[in-house]
Amino acid sequence: MTLTTDPAATPATDVVLRVAGLTKRFGATLALDRADLELRPGTVHALVGGNGCGKSTTIKVLAGVHRADAGRIEVAGHAWDAGHYDAKAGRAAGLRFVHQDLGLFPELSVAENFALDAGYPTGPARRVRWGALQRRVAQLLAAYEIEADPRTPVAALRPAQRTLVAICRALQDQEADGQLVLVLDEPTATLPQHESQVLLDAVRRRADNGQTVLMVSHRMPEVLAVCDDFTVFRDGRTVAALVGQRPTERELVGHMTGTALAATVVGGMAPGALDGAPVPPDVQPPAADGDVVLAVRDLEGGPLRGVDLEVRRGEVVGVAGLVGSGRSSLLRTVFGEHAPASGTVAVRDAAGALSTTGDVRTRMDAGVAFVPEDRAGEAAFAELTIRDNLTAPVLRRYWRPWGMDRRRERADAADLVARYGVRTPSTDAPLASLSGGNQQKVVLARWLQRRPTLLLLDEPTQGVDVMSRADIYRTVREAAAGGCAVLVASSDLLELSTLCDRVVVLQDGRVTAEATGAQLTPDSLTALTQSSAGAPAEHPAPSGAPR
Amino acid sequence: MSVTDTPPLHSPGAGDAAPDDRTAPPPTPTSAAHGGAGGLFERHALLLLLVAVAVFFSVLPASADVFPTQENLSVLLGDRATVALLALSVILPLVCGYFDFSLGAIAAASSVLTAGLMSFHDLPLGLAMTAGIGVGVLVGAVNGLLVTRFGLNSFVTTLGMATLLGGLVQWYTGGQTILVGLDPRLAEFGSTTLLGIPQVVYVVAVVAALLWYLLTQTPFGRSLYAVGSNPRSAALVGIRVQRSVWTTFVLAGGIAGLCGVLSLARAGSATADPGTGLLFPALAAAFLGATAVRPGFFNVVGTMIGVLFVSVSVSGLTLAGADTWASPVFNGAALLVAVGLSAYLGRSRGIRTV
Ligand SMILES: Nc1ncnc2c1ncn2[C@@H]1O[C@H](COP(=O)(O)OP(=O)(O)OP(=O)(O)O)[C@@H](O)[C@H]1O
Ligand SMILES: [Mg+2]
Repeated sequence: MTLTTDPAATPATDVVLRVAGLTKRFGATLALDRADLELRPGTVHALVGGNGCGKSTTIKVLAGVHRADAGRIEVAGHAWDAGHYDAKAGRAAGLRFVHQDLGLFPELSVAENFALDAGYPTGPARRVRWGALQRRVAQLLAAYEIEADPRTPVAALRPAQRTLVAICRALQDQEADGQLVLVLDEPTATLPQHESQVLLDAVRRRADNGQTVLMVSHRMPEVLAVCDDFTVFRDGRTVAALVGQRPTERELVGHMTGTALAATVVGGMAPGALDGAPVPPDVQPPAADGDVVLAVRDLEGGPLRGVDLEVRRGEVVGVAGLVGSGRSSLLRTVFGEHAPASGTVAVRDAAGALSTTGDVRTRMDAGVAFVPEDRAGEAAFAELTIRDNLTAPVLRRYWRPWGMDRRRERADAADLVARYGVRTPSTDAPLASLSGGNQQKVVLARWLQRRPTLLLLDEPTQGVDVMSRADIYRTVREAAAGGCAVLVASSDLLELSTLCDRVVVLQDGRVTAEATGAQLTPDSLTALTQSSAGAPAEHPAPSGAPR
Repeated sequence: MSVTDTPPLHSPGAGDAAPDDRTAPPPTPTSAAHGGAGGLFERHALLLLLVAVAVFFSVLPASADVFPTQENLSVLLGDRATVALLALSVILPLVCGYFDFSLGAIAAASSVLTAGLMSFHDLPLGLAMTAGIGVGVLVGAVNGLLVTRFGLNSFVTTLGMATLLGGLVQWYTGGQTILVGLDPRLAEFGSTTLLGIPQVVYVVAVVAALLWYLLTQTPFGRSLYAVGSNPRSAALVGIRVQRSVWTTFVLAGGIAGLCGVLSLARAGSATADPGTGLLFPALAAAFLGATAVRPGFFNVVGTMIGVLFVSVSVSGLTLAGADTWASPVFNGAALLVAVGLSAYLGRSRGIRTV
């Protein structure tokens, strides 16, 4: 373990949370192998590492969801043997968690969400004192600089505000910043860039007031901009603890992969991608005169107000836009999930036939594939096996009159798992036993195995680690080079500029701008999306964000 | 929470591919699929329990004389054939995450209608049987339509249907048992054995084999498990969710109709019974079955083991001198234990703690 501690850093006694020698085994998988973690009070601490290295497992142990096999846990001076630690102990010692699904009730008002956590203030005869509740919540929201009325339903809030409400709720019984330790597992994974900036700014401000925060993220520019200390996990072990330093992205990724590997991974990746610089995709875009595979004309329906768009064979087209601009709706309508209110969506199949109408099934038969944004809700079959998850859209391939060809299914699943680097002991394990990023890889593999002619990707690399992200970009480019047309919606503008030949900007349900060639940089894309919204860029790109 | 950048185009449930009111609590999955000694034991625990119970009653002095005899086992299998058939029908909607409480009443209605058509209207056996099974298919189709197309809660819908059918059975029979005017071939089929095993058992075996093939060896059956796991995801991998769910209700109705005909064959008469006496042991068997063979999922082989387990236990208890109340108490307890067990096993592994 390369422990590079800054000598000027606070002495080791000044630690609010210390985890030592944490070990956790799931069947054949050693998820945590004597992992260590130390948090200084009043800092934002990043826990980073590749997919399946044990970050979420650590957090779940701290939250009392899993019980560790060995190790010690110390919180604010109290110490436990990890085997005797439980949810109650952690809560009493001051740990507070906001999980990725936030645990809010979207139909209820902000105030009610607070009350469900802490109890309703009641008057005589147990009558709920709504006035008192509203006032208290309004105060809390003001203290956290969340611009929301306590009476609005949570569903009506913007994504970053929702996360902030969840954070504020988790910390509501804290009298002074720093009493509690806030733990966030991938808080920004599903947030668009500007939303996550709002969230991280708020987190940073709390930390400057003395709040201690532990957060997991795969977005390196973000953690580099906002975090003070870094702990890097690899294969369930702590491989680096960087206290009070300012590492570079390259350094962090080096620790994540193991130094020997770092050179090849970083080298194999589009050069500079790790530093946030624009790069040309490593596979050259094909001639732009390929067949038009997708032609969208004057499409209306839901938030879409007349979208015109063409995607050609071999082309990777990005869709950028702010929240509510209709990115996901566009992809869903093309996939046939929603019938358009007006306008046409024409898709050319591999044989060259054009079809303009169709539901999901006919679109799939025409060679369209769709990776939705909400993995848990719309892509995963959590309790089914990895193999079942992979074969779900291709079951008919394996049918023989005497039954399903399980041997071939197994072999194909094992192939895909190896090809997409899914970390699992067996393809017969339930999907839920995979780490978040590995689940995302399974969903991608599910669709790419169909060799689609039109690939629709909505936030394809959410929760995927930096190394695999490069692999996924390469796979998508390869598919494109093989003649597939790709439409990618993403809030990660670096991703769009790295991956795409062309990016269209969607605003209020219309295509308002298009970027190609030299315009394909995160900065100019930021400018395009922001300016099309009529507001100047408020936040600089995260990689350059000043502390 | 899903962060989407789009307001939903449709309100949930209204014509959406996946109605949100699925009421069956999917048995909590367990990761026995990992293999290993623990998983292997879990998969076969119910079978071992069945063997243990059978051995126990074979040596228990109070039941040892009668229980292990060929006659007793033959009667036991014949009498429980109807429960087995109903349990098979129950698991079909359950695989997709829906309850069908009307299946017992469908069996009762089918039984009464088949008998009534022969007795009151002198219809030939074949036609009467077809009508009995047909009414099951029809009611299943209506249930399925109400649940998928109109997005009604399956629990309440099928409970209402069960009550309605129970009332119609009362009306049709005038509360009387239909005894006379039945084609004797039916009762003869129900009471004869082939190779020492009641003929009705072969019917169950054939239906079980077909259903096993359907659920595990066809793309359709496999996609039903996907629907049960996550209907939204299922719709987005090209599964026609509503149509699949509707089909399970129709098939279940048909099998329940067949169950009614079989019970008429076995009993030789049709009583004005609401059919709940049949439904609850069937449900218990289905839930017990979901803890075995493929733990966490409703499956045919497990269900058959579940039926045998419940039957053997109840028969043994009766022979050992237990009162009539012992059977419902046992069925209820088995159901509770089965549901609790699958939830506990899932939680202890930390997978989905619902
Ligand atoms: N309930 C479980 N059953 C079996 N294995 C599990 C379970 N939960 C996690 N694992 C395994 O433990 C390892 C660590 O998983 P964990 O979720 O902690 O990874 P992570 O660091 O959070 O990864 P990601 O960045 O992809 O979210 C993985 O190999 C995973 O497959
Ligand atoms: Mg994780």
